[in-house]
Amino acid sequence: MSAVLADMPKTEATKTVAPATTKAIAPSRGERPRTFYVLATLFALYVLALYGPMFCIYILSFQDIRGGLVFPMKGTSLHWFVDLFTQVRTGDVKGSFDRSIKLAVIVTVITVVVSFLAGLGFRKRFRGDTVVFYMMIGSLVAPGLVLGLGTGLLFQALGLNASWYTSALGAQLSWTLPFGVLVMFAVMSRFNHVWEEAAYDLGASRWQSIRLVIIPVLAPGLVAVALFGFTLSYDEFARSLQTAGSLNTLPLEIWSMTLNVTSPSLYALGTVTTIVSFIVIGASLGSIVLIQNKRGSSTKG
Amino acid sequence: MKSDRGDIELAGVCKSFDGVTNVVDGVNLKIADGAYCCFIGPSGCGKTTILRMIAGHEDPSAGEIVIGGQNVVGLAPVQRRTAMMFQSYALFPHLSVRENIAFALRVRGLSKADRLRAADVMIEKVRLTQFADRLPAQLSGGQQQRVALARAAITEPRVLLLDEPLSALDEQLRVQMRQELRRMQQELGITFIHVTHTQLEAIALADLVVVMEQGKIKQAGAARDVYAHPHDRYVAEFMGGQNVLSGRVEKVNGSCFTLAQAASSGIEVPLQTRPSVSVGDQVDIAVRRDDVALVRPGRELPPGCTTSLPSRVLAIEYQGYFVKVMLDTVPDDAFVAYVPEKTFFADPFTVGDVVMATWATGSALPLA
Amino acid sequence: MQSSQTPPRANLAGWLYVSPLVLVLVPFFVAPILVVLAASFFATDGFGGLTPGFTLASYVEVLHSALTLKLYLATIKFSVLTWIFTLIIGFFVAYFLVFHVRNQLLAIGLFLLCTVPFWTSNIIRMISWIPLLGKEGLINQALMALGVIRQPLEVLLFSDLAVVIAYVHQLTIFMIVPIFNSMARIDKKLIEAAIDAGASRFDIMRLIVVPMSKSGIALGTIFVVSIVMGDFFVVKVMSGGGSASVVSAFYEDVGVLQYPTAAASAVLLTLVLVAIVSLILRTVDIRQEITR
Repeated sequence: MSAVLADMPKTEATKTVAPATTKAIAPSRGERPRTFYVLATLFALYVLALYGPMFCIYILSFQDIRGGLVFPMKGTSLHWFVDLFTQVRTGDVKGSFDRSIKLAVIVTVITVVVSFLAGLGFRKRFRGDTVVFYMMIGSLVAPGLVLGLGTGLLFQALGLNASWYTSALGAQLSWTLPFGVLVMFAVMSRFNHVWEEAAYDLGASRWQSIRLVIIPVLAPGLVAVALFGFTLSYDEFARSLQTAGSLNTLPLEIWSMTLNVTSPSLYALGTVTTIVSFIVIGASLGSIVLIQNKRGSSTKG
Repeated sequence: MKSDRGDIELAGVCKSFDGVTNVVDGVNLKIADGAYCCFIGPSGCGKTTILRMIAGHEDPSAGEIVIGGQNVVGLAPVQRRTAMMFQSYALFPHLSVRENIAFALRVRGLSKADRLRAADVMIEKVRLTQFADRLPAQLSGGQQQRVALARAAITEPRVLLLDEPLSALDEQLRVQMRQELRRMQQELGITFIHVTHTQLEAIALADLVVVMEQGKIKQAGAARDVYAHPHDRYVAEFMGGQNVLSGRVEKVNGSCFTLAQAASSGIEVPLQTRPSVSVGDQVDIAVRRDDVALVRPGRELPPGCTTSLPSRVLAIEYQGYFVKVMLDTVPDDAFVAYVPEKTFFADPFTVGDVVMATWATGSALPLA
Repeated sequence: MQSSQTPPRANLAGWLYVSPLVLVLVPFFVAPILVVLAASFFATDGFGGLTPGFTLASYVEVLHSALTLKLYLATIKFSVLTWIFTLIIGFFVAYFLVFHVRNQLLAIGLFLLCTVPFWTSNIIRMISWIPLLGKEGLINQALMALGVIRQPLEVLLFSDLAVVIAYVHQLTIFMIVPIFNSMARIDKKLIEAAIDAGASRFDIMRLIVVPMSKSGIALGTIFVVSIVMGDFFVVKVMSGGGSASVVSAFYEDVGVLQYPTAAASAVLLTLVLVAIVSLILRTVDIRQEITR
């Protein structure tokens, strides 16, 4: 996942270097090998399977009151969206939506700051760095539900109340931080430490060099970390299940609806939450592309 | 501020990264204020480490670094009033040319108007006015180098340190930027210390050439001294342009001694720089490649030549204004003659020809 | 220039930088794991109350239960099937993007197209199969219209097949990204050299591409296997209650407040997971792979 966005500048460089050759698995000119068409078909099918089902539920969420869980469409209306935010039986969607956004923003801020600092720390070896590294990997691969239960029991044992802004916040950070640090690794691997040395040479203090050089240079990578922080928190539920306390986050609301609700309002909720995700993804990717374009491209040579 | 001296003295400077081997091993050197000094040596010889210690990016394990009479060990670069130009320039990719150059003033807390005005003056000095608003990625290599130079110079350093400043450029640009560096050095009137591994670059630029090997200084002196009078075999071979021969001293007579050679009657060498030679010593000597004349066997030797060594031509390379003739004169070492183009083509040799290699006796140089 | 022994100042700076990370991971990863470990040795009153103590009763119960073996077999089956499908699809998708798409910008665009769903809700992506796989879903409708079948297939939704489909749908991206990264680092000149030397496409795949993508495959495998083994909601929803895995049984245990049994089973699962992950880590230096 880590190099998704950080890869952009690198490939930009290879583009200019890559020779226009006819000798390759896929020749850069002339006729394409037969395998190209086979693989292109496979790729197209994969993308279709990736997006197809999602689009089905977006479409089905716009049915009218007669609508069911499967095709064919029965009329078109916004009935199920209204239903979603008004019906009691679907639970407190609005409240949980609010909480999820707030929680995601908090998680994003903490994830960006902590991952950034950890990324700086991991550039040089230090005693015990391997322990921290594997602790992070462990937190990433550990079953979320088990961690969530442990956190819940821990709070119980300490006599603390589990709530979305304490125990669930921590449980989500144990998930978003390893991802954030992994993205930082990919980002830092392209950061030339000589920039920092140059800043020091020109009289910048440690803090000035972070503020005026490191952060602006790494800006696209930090946006990527923020994207991971926000979306992973916004959609997280295995770790929140035992830690969110009495008030639900949105994914927990969706989870209970999955088990109880058999109307298209479930799909309507899916549509709404995905729209939010898409806005966040679009804004993040857009700003990354904007920064990259401003910096690297135009009149080279 | 300008009156501050930029003379440098290194006294017993050592650097070790692992506590076992010294990357820089007891270096003593004086560099005069306003000098252009080049450190040269193969990679890993410690030249860049010395540069970084003078700059304050590395602390010496032992010894003193004195700039303008003050020991600067432990001081930050700004306090030392040194500035460094990094190998691939390390221009900040998110800042325009103007903002890059104004960076040092920005971190000192100068107001935006003041620092941009100062930067514009410097931009003019390096002739980049029309590029002031571009980002580094939009500049050519030569332009980037000028930005790096201006960014370092705006701090008004007493010493400018340049780490392989020309290595990122292509051949043609390198010669051009070389002149520009010299011009800037004279204009700023400060000490330049320049690290390179290109001999030509060092002797073309420097007032003081410092040849290094394995953390030690092998020879330091004016460019012409180092090139024409190498101190030992290493310097002679590293700087190039010399044939190095070795042999046992056969006899010493007055102002000359004779080096035994298997194939001929021996090599006569003047004694002046190396008085303590006795029969039986193993001695290296150097003969400049452009001092070697090639004569067909049986012909008369040019005046002043007492030594002639029979040789076979191994290879010939045309180099433009001269011709490089490679010979098997001595068994273990390469032996090369640079013959002026016109001389060569007046009576050209071919590979396999037998010739006599000779030189004026006074031009042979005994080495330490 | 790297020193073998790091100076104390560098150690202190390193720890300062990672201290916020450690301050989160210790209470929210290390401590919960220890709590679960402790709980597995505690006794229970059956109503969620825990009595501190040391008893192996929960482990005995878990290990003696015939259900345990069944759960592990089901979990392993899902893991292996998912791993095979995600690996095959992920490998060829990455291979296509790296070696067959000529325009670099297009390749990045297509790559992002694959990653966008990763940033959306897993549950929503899972339930989005219902309109397709259901008894009256699109696939059954299509097959009946084509006359391939007369009765709608019941096996499509709420079955092991649906579980595997949902897993592959969610997790293939975890294979594509690391494999794509490994492949993108292969110098294209290497492949030209191999072709010059007379290698066939298959040779190149076998002798260059696969060996050089190994670390990416290992990394992807760790992600896929650990997520499938730690999952409960896909099994619970997509099997319609028909199948269970180790963690979904854990979920049920927690639901009826059987904490020690749940904890014991979780500890055993964690041990299995650690064994698998460290086995994979022996084939690849994950830290070097990630940081380079």
